[in-house]
Amino acid sequence: MTKFNMTRRSVLAGAAAGTATLGMPAYLRAMSGEFIIGASLPLTGPFATAGQLIAPAFSLYEKLINDEGGIAGTKIKFSTEDSGYVPQNALANYQRLLASEGEKVVAYYGDSTGFMKLVGPELKGEQARMMTSTSFATELANPETHPYQFMSGPTYEDQFNILLQDIAAKGGKTVAFVHSNTEFGTDPIKAGQAKAAELGLEVVLVESTKPQGADIPTHVTKIAQANPDYCILQGYVTGVWPQLIGGARQFGLTTKFMGTFWGMEKLIADRVTAEAGPFLEGYQGVMPYRYSYDTENAPRLQQIAAMSKVALAGTPLENYFPTWGIQAFASLDILTIALRRNADMGKAPTADNLAAAVATIKDVDLGGYFGPKISVENNKVGVGRVYQYSAESRLFTPTSDWLTV
Amino acid sequence: MINGNLKATYAADEKIADNRYKVSFIWGLAALAALLPIFANDYIILVACQVGIMVIAVVGLNVLTGYTGLMSLGHAAFVAIGAYGVTLLHHAATALSISDGLQPFLTIPGAMALAAVIGLIVGLPSLRVKGVYLAVATLSANFIIIFLIELDAFAPWTGGKTGLTTVDPSIFGWVLDTQREVFVLIAVMAFATVLLVQNLFRTRVGRAFIAIRERDYSAEILGISLFHYKLTSFAISAACCGLAGALMAYFYARVLPEQFELLLSLQLVAALIVGGMGRTMGPVFGVLVIVLSPELLKVVLSAIAGDSIEAAQFRAPLQEIIFGLLIIGFIMFEPLGMTQISDRVFRALNRWPFARG
Repeated sequence: MTKFNMTRRSVLAGAAAGTATLGMPAYLRAMSGEFIIGASLPLTGPFATAGQLIAPAFSLYEKLINDEGGIAGTKIKFSTEDSGYVPQNALANYQRLLASEGEKVVAYYGDSTGFMKLVGPELKGEQARMMTSTSFATELANPETHPYQFMSGPTYEDQFNILLQDIAAKGGKTVAFVHSNTEFGTDPIKAGQAKAAELGLEVVLVESTKPQGADIPTHVTKIAQANPDYCILQGYVTGVWPQLIGGARQFGLTTKFMGTFWGMEKLIADRVTAEAGPFLEGYQGVMPYRYSYDTENAPRLQQIAAMSKVALAGTPLENYFPTWGIQAFASLDILTIALRRNADMGKAPTADNLAAAVATIKDVDLGGYFGPKISVENNKVGVGRVYQYSAESRLFTPTSDWLTV
Repeated sequence: MINGNLKATYAADEKIADNRYKVSFIWGLAALAALLPIFANDYIILVACQVGIMVIAVVGLNVLTGYTGLMSLGHAAFVAIGAYGVTLLHHAATALSISDGLQPFLTIPGAMALAAVIGLIVGLPSLRVKGVYLAVATLSANFIIIFLIELDAFAPWTGGKTGLTTVDPSIFGWVLDTQREVFVLIAVMAFATVLLVQNLFRTRVGRAFIAIRERDYSAEILGISLFHYKLTSFAISAACCGLAGALMAYFYARVLPEQFELLLSLQLVAALIVGGMGRTMGPVFGVLVIVLSPELLKVVLSAIAGDSIEAAQFRAPLQEIIFGLLIIGFIMFEPLGMTQISDRVFRALNRWPFARG
């Protein structure tokens, strides 16, 4: 046994020597004054729409921060790769970036819950970097199990809480949960049932469907039989509104439909309205951020609007910046605050130092993404409010105050 | 000067590597694998591990599709069985107070056996159907197994849709808790699998598989039991994929159902076609192309188009298109796969200067 341990040590020593040799140039490059923020986005594959809409946020953000003087004088640079929405691809992207850029990489933006879960246990020692992502998965909001990962909004469970509180406040009695049979879809269902019971709401239907596809209309029958006051949709990005909500309206149902963050994008709602009619009128949902057109008292959103007009002229994003991009901006602003506080204290931008700096973000005004000042607690920002869509004005407008969970 | 392969004894005729170039190639690969953990950076180790795991799985598929002539589009399911099986068996072994250092010696064969049993069940339709019909049957098996893994009823064991945190294996007290250390295990297993499967086709069982591939009715008339050998082929094939799955569980800190969906099954088939079906080195070459091509394309296109975000938006779809064209090109211009190309190269070297391929 002892002999074996010796062999292992010698192998590890050799490996460490090799790694140190390979790592040295990266360290020297880091001295040249550039922080790299890596990112994996689904630029191809089933969620390519989302990835292609988020990508411009990175180039705008890079310009914005560098024009502000960077992080205590150090410029930032994004290194973005396609993941195809495959967690292993995103993990490979992350490790390739660490291998090529080493210590210059200070943070990473992930593309999915799957990636964040896959990479979580790998974030140890020199492999650890601070991370944020597109995910609001409840599991990630735990500093003990995911110390280097945070989200710039409430978890899906929190988002359900906000919606259920709103339903209870508006006098709703019955609610249905219709969700996709994905992890994304099932995330808040059990907690939602418990919260509904606590608020005195009766959950009359919990229905699981495919995330998209031809058999979704068959589930409308179940909703019609249950005939709830409200129906919350969870785990869909695009594609089910015409089948589910349009189908329900054809049944003559008066059920009010609601959604969470990924079901609240104006670009998608506008497209569905243009193609399939105005059945989204009155559709509501929870959103942690202001929409990009709600720029009053929101200097950051004003900056984004001004930059979009120039940098994204001639594209659909010229006059409207998607919520998915705002999520990226808000997450990156939290990261930037942590990097700046860290730099002010003269600390190296290690994952441990940045995680500690993120945890110090209390009662901060991020520039108007959120209504109130926000704090990062338990890896999340527990703030949101309910918005309602108008098929006529093609705008989401708030119907509740900002709620903290 | 001796050119070509002089075979003066039966032993020489039975040699796997029958000329010095092939021997040098094999030893070169082994030396490269041995040196990687010492000199390669983490990214190269990651890719090398992915190659090793895929090679084992494609070798498994090769037994069934390449050598026995039975088409499968559902082998990702067996990889899933291996990955989940090894993790659950570790938990069971811990509950039974079996020493950590001994557990992999039970759990890896256990996971392979579990995959083999599932392979036997999935293989039953092969007794009645073949060709595209069997492909559809195995495809269904892939969906059914992933569905069962995600099912709430089994979620206490499988983790359902949220996946399962895996275990760091300990071999006689050596805890393989870094990817670099797991690579050693993967490399050894990959070499062993390729070698053992190559040897399988020098036995009666392996030759029976080949006879079935060539003409199953004729094979049966010759006394080969289709029932016995087709299911054996499925079991061996699934066991290899189970081994790949077990190593995948050791390599990744977490297994998720979405890692074992149709995409993986198609990648396995694509690697086999590109590499060369029914050939020992087919899976190795095929996996190298399938795994390394997208990575190389990224590097090349980054160098050409730059690494800005706008370039990435342009590069990503382009990479997919080029990769697709590459596969089409292989199938059109070298349908026998990479092994055919390597054969030509080795033949030319072996006969040089008198013949070139």
